[in-house]
Parts: sequence; structure tokens; C-alpha cells
Amino acid sequence: MDNGLSIRMQHLFNRHGDGRAVCVAADHGYMSDVTPNVVNLRSVTEAVIRGGVDAILLSPGQAIRLAPLLRGLDGPALIVRADWMNLPRLGSSNVTNAVPQRRLIHQKVMTAEQALSLGATAITIYLFIGYDDQVEAAGIDSCARFASECRKFGLPCIMEPLAVGGHVTGANIVDLLTLGARMCAELGADAIKIPYTGDVETFARLVSVTQLPVLVLGGARSENERDALELLEEGLQAGGHGCLMGRNVTKSPDPEALVRRLCQVAHENYSVNDAMRGRKWDKVRLRVVTSQCTGCQLCVTACVAAHETRLFGNHMARLAVVPQRLGENKVYYCTLCKKCIEVCPTGALRWDRGTGAVSLDLEVCTACDKCVEICPTHVVMKSDRPIQVADRELSWYPVICDLCGVAPACARICPTGAITVDQRKMVK
Amino acid sequence: MDLLSTSGKPGLLVDTSAGLSLGALPGLEDFKSAVRPILSLVDGVVCSPGQLRSFENRTTRDAALLVRMDWTNTLRGAEFPLPPVKAFHLNLLNASDALALGASGMVATFLLGYEEEIEAGCQKAAVQLALTGKEFGLPLLVEVRTTGARISLPGKAVELGASYALECGADGIVIPYPGQASLKTIASMLSVPWFIKPTSAGTVFAEWEQAGGLGAAGFWLDHAWLVPGMPLDQVAARLHADQDRTG
Repeated sequence: MDNGLSIRMQHLFNRHGDGRAVCVAADHGYMSDVTPNVVNLRSVTEAVIRGGVDAILLSPGQAIRLAPLLRGLDGPALIVRADWMNLPRLGSSNVTNAVPQRRLIHQKVMTAEQALSLGATAITIYLFIGYDDQVEAAGIDSCARFASECRKFGLPCIMEPLAVGGHVTGANIVDLLTLGARMCAELGADAIKIPYTGDVETFARLVSVTQLPVLVLGGARSENERDALELLEEGLQAGGHGCLMGRNVTKSPDPEALVRRLCQVAHENYSVNDAMRGRKWDKVRLRVVTSQCTGCQLCVTACVAAHETRLFGNHMARLAVVPQRLGENKVYYCTLCKKCIEVCPTGALRWDRGTGAVSLDLEVCTACDKCVEICPTHVVMKSDRPIQVADRELSWYPVICDLCGVAPACARICPTGAITVDQRKMVK
Repeated sequence: MDLLSTSGKPGLLVDTSAGLSLGALPGLEDFKSAVRPILSLVDGVVCSPGQLRSFENRTTRDAALLVRMDWTNTLRGAEFPLPPVKAFHLNLLNASDALALGASGMVATFLLGYEEEIEAGCQKAAVQLALTGKEFGLPLLVEVRTTGARISLPGKAVELGASYALECGADGIVIPYPGQASLKTIASMLSVPWFIKPTSAGTVFAEWEQAGGLGAAGFWLDHAWLVPGMPLDQVAARLHADQDRTG
């Protein structure tokens, strides 16, 4: 990879050293009817920069005006939209179209050199497949020319394959997107911007066939901010390198906050729940769905096996599965209700700051039995053998769920998903 | 270029370039003598490339000269001797041509409501003129013309044209009066100077009340305003009075 291309790819994808990028597309006013998000692009741009966005996609005109906002060592990268199309205004069903369009027009409007002179770190261009042969061939021609120009100037070329038109159906859209992504790779794209295929498995295949950084685009705005975060999370799970979100961000009531959350998911490995809360919860708790439990007792066995305490037998497990009527099973487990901690007279039971589970300090335990008595789920057990602690012997000690650190064996082994791990905040 | 500045002083531009498509226009048959008197009255005159060559001995008090960069037959109506069968839009000049002609700025047409290729051509030309104009320090004025048969929502079409012109990189935008609601949307959207083309001589002052109040940079008047009897001097006096107030 030549020096200029390498530097710009790093600027785009490696501002946080993780090879990922959270980008915002603010080029809709260039192609669609006037919508509220394009009315005041300056304030949206300022907001997403405050949110920590890695790159912003702008039309040539907006790039001329807004590029100064992107300056500075820590400034986001500028991606320039180098082509134009009328897709958002196609069709007569959209009654809000001021000037309805009948045919898809897609054209190159500037050169890679001109984009470079605007301060672009990359350009992006469409490749339409599924509309008609002529549009596809023109797109191929345009992409090939841009790839060649961009290579000359060391400017990353992000290609955006879109499957639209009469040849696209619900049954073939994933295949067409995968085809488009691969064609872009073959044409010489440096990265791909593409719609999400709908599930991790098919998107992972799409990513793997490109062998390039892939940015998932957001599509139409969802009313639920969580949807955008989940889209990014699933894209990353599939091996994607981030997102290039448009309307979800630009039409958001708080673009800065949404970008910050997207960055937390992409760069700080926040879960969507953590990002929505705005803080990371690294403590866990068990979650049980009784209806999914088959009573196989694997969890009980795994619990005993996971603890090297010389206590053997399923009766020493820190949870229990009890058959009920009509083939149902009830799972008894530590709910972290902290009643045992509250009742402990010596302070032997306390929260473990590292794992968030209940921990036992044998040094001060008197085997008083109060914790066993009070446990509402009966999962604080008495050990079936004594234990030597310093210069004294306890005839028994409480056996309490420690959540196996933060990876409970019961949840890991459960074959039906009846026991899972959920995040929680640290209990004070 | 002062007339595209955002200093708040309203400006007056007159477009005399329609002869490119319509031939000798009433009042503009002798172009030089027709335009010379208004050079001190208005802030800018939009000329065809040929007209621009004919100006000599201009002073710094004279209006700025802008050059029309393109040609279209959409100005012709059905009663024109050569009525258009198909709409055309062609680029005539590039930014270096405009500079060589001594223009202070470039004017491009943005047509809406015609075949898709016409709009796409306008889009591409505007982007290219904006980018190449930057190299020479030549501002680009985009004139939005929503005259095609496909316009379904006239006010919204003007909004769309203004938005597109902005996204293409225009330094100034000229729009027909789109109605009060769309005018407010456009005023909130545009971060560059914008000029209003009044609907008629009868509505010119009422429309200026609205547009001027929303921050319009001035008026854009077409060649019809050069016909004797049109209140060009009154419009100029009104805008200059506003200039004095804001100045």
C-alpha cells in the first residue's frame, strides 16, 4: 500500500487503534428532497464532531463550507460524495416529491483530484446492481475510473453497492449485496459501505468475500435509537469495521449523544445496553427462563465441577433444578438479593468488588447458620465436611454462588439457553 | 465580491443574458447603450459571453459583471419562432474562460422539472463550476429555474433547487419567489447569499418585504425589467434605501 493511501486509511479506520470507524453520512440533501436534517447541517456537523465521530461524508458543496470544522490533529476525516443519483426521488408513490423522477440517473460529478483538493481523506461512490444492465455497466465504468484515479493520488475509494430495482427481491437481496460487495473489491475499492443483510451470518459471509474494511450503513431512520446501535453491534460481530450512518444520526434529536454511543460500541466494546445507559456494567447476574429448562441437570453438575473445593455431589451445587408438575422444572439460583450479607453478624459475607458476587471470608465466619436460614432460594448450602481455618476448625461453612468469577459455568453449559448471563450494575 | 457578501446590504442584479436563447430582446437591441445607463444603478449585470466582451472603460463605481456560463432553450415558449421540442441545457464556458472574459462571477442555471438528464447535467456542471471557480477565486451564482412540466409542488421544487444548489457548492443562489412558507424554509436552510426573482412588477415590493425580512441578499431581475416603463429605478431606489439603513 502506498504511503498516501496508508496514511489516509489509518486516519479513517484507526483513530482509536482498533481498526474501526464510526462515520456519519450527511450527504442526503445532495440527492433527496429537502428534509429537516439537511436544513441546518452545520449544527449537526458540530454535534457529531463533539460526539467523537471518526469521519463525515459530505457533498462537494457542503465539504467546501464545512471542511474548516474538521480541521485539527484530532479532527474527523472528511469523506466526499463524488457522484450523484436521484434514487430517493424515484417513483410516484412518494407524494412529497416536488419533482418526481422516472428513471434512475447515476453519474460521476467530480474527480479524485478535486476531492483531494477539498481536503478529502476518502471518496465514496455508488454501484447500483439490479436496476438495469445499462445502469450497472455505467456504475462499473465509474467505479473503475475512480479506483484508478484514487490509486494515483493515494486516496481511499469507498464503494457503496446498492441492490435496487425490478430485479431485486426479498429472496435475492442478500445474494445481490454479497455480489455487489465482491464486485467492488474486484474493481479496486479500498473499503465498502453497504446495507446490513439482516443477520450476522450472512453479513459475515459478505465481509469475508470482500477482504476489505466494511462499513454498515444505517438506512432509513428508526424511531428507536437502540436499532442503530444494534445494527452496528451486529455488523461488528460479523467482522465489519464500523458504520457509516446517515439519517439515524442526522435526524436524531440528539446527534451528539447517538454518535457517542456508537463510538462506545465500536471503540470501547460497550454492549448496546451499556451504551444506552451510558456506562459499562462489567458485573453479571444469572437470568433464568424456566420454560426453557428441560431438567437435564447439566448446570448442577457443571457448578460442582467448576469449583475445586473437594465437595463432590450435586447436592453441593450452588443452584438446584427441581422438577415440578406437568414436566416443568424450577431453577433455584442466587439472585444476589444480599439477604445473606445483611444477616451475617461478622461481616464474613460481602460483595466481591471484582466479580460482583457474594464472597465469603472464612477467617471471620463462625458457621452461625443465619445465611443458610435466610436464603430465599435455598442455594446457600452447608458444606458436608469441615474446614481448617488458621488455628481453628469450622465444622461446616456456607457454600455460596460466586458466579464463577464473571463466567458462570451453569450458563455456559446450559444447552437450551434457560440459564443465561445478564449484565448488571455493581451493587453498593 | 461584495454583491455576494453577507454584509446585510441588499443588492440588485439584472440578467441581460437571455439573448443567448431568445435573440434581440425588447429594450436590449443595442445592448451597450441599453446597459450603460444602468451600470451605476444596479449592483451586478449578468451578461452573455459575447456581451461581456463589449464592455470597456468601466469604473469601480459600475456594476459588477457576471457571465452566463450555459445555454438552454427552455426560455423559449410555444409562441417563439423556434419553439423547443425537447429541452436542452449546455455548458458554454469553464471557469478559466470566465476569468479571461474579466467576469466578477459566474452564473449557472439549475433546471428542474425536465428530463432526468437535464437535471443531472445541471448538477454536474454546478459542482464543476464551484470547484474550478474556487481555484480562480470566482464565485458561482446558481439560478434555480423550476419551469419544467414535471413540477408537482412548485414551492417545494424551489426548496429542492435551493438545497441542491447549496450542496453543489454555490456561493450565491437565485430563486423564484416560492410563496411564504417555502421562503421561510429556504431562508433557514441557506448559509450563502440568496436573491429573489420577483413574480411581477406588481408584487415586487410585497415580495421584498417578506424576502428582505428573512435575510435575502437582494433582487434578481430579468431582461423584461429593462423595457421602458418598468419600475427598475424604483426598485433600485428602494433597495438602496435599505442599503443605507443597514449600512
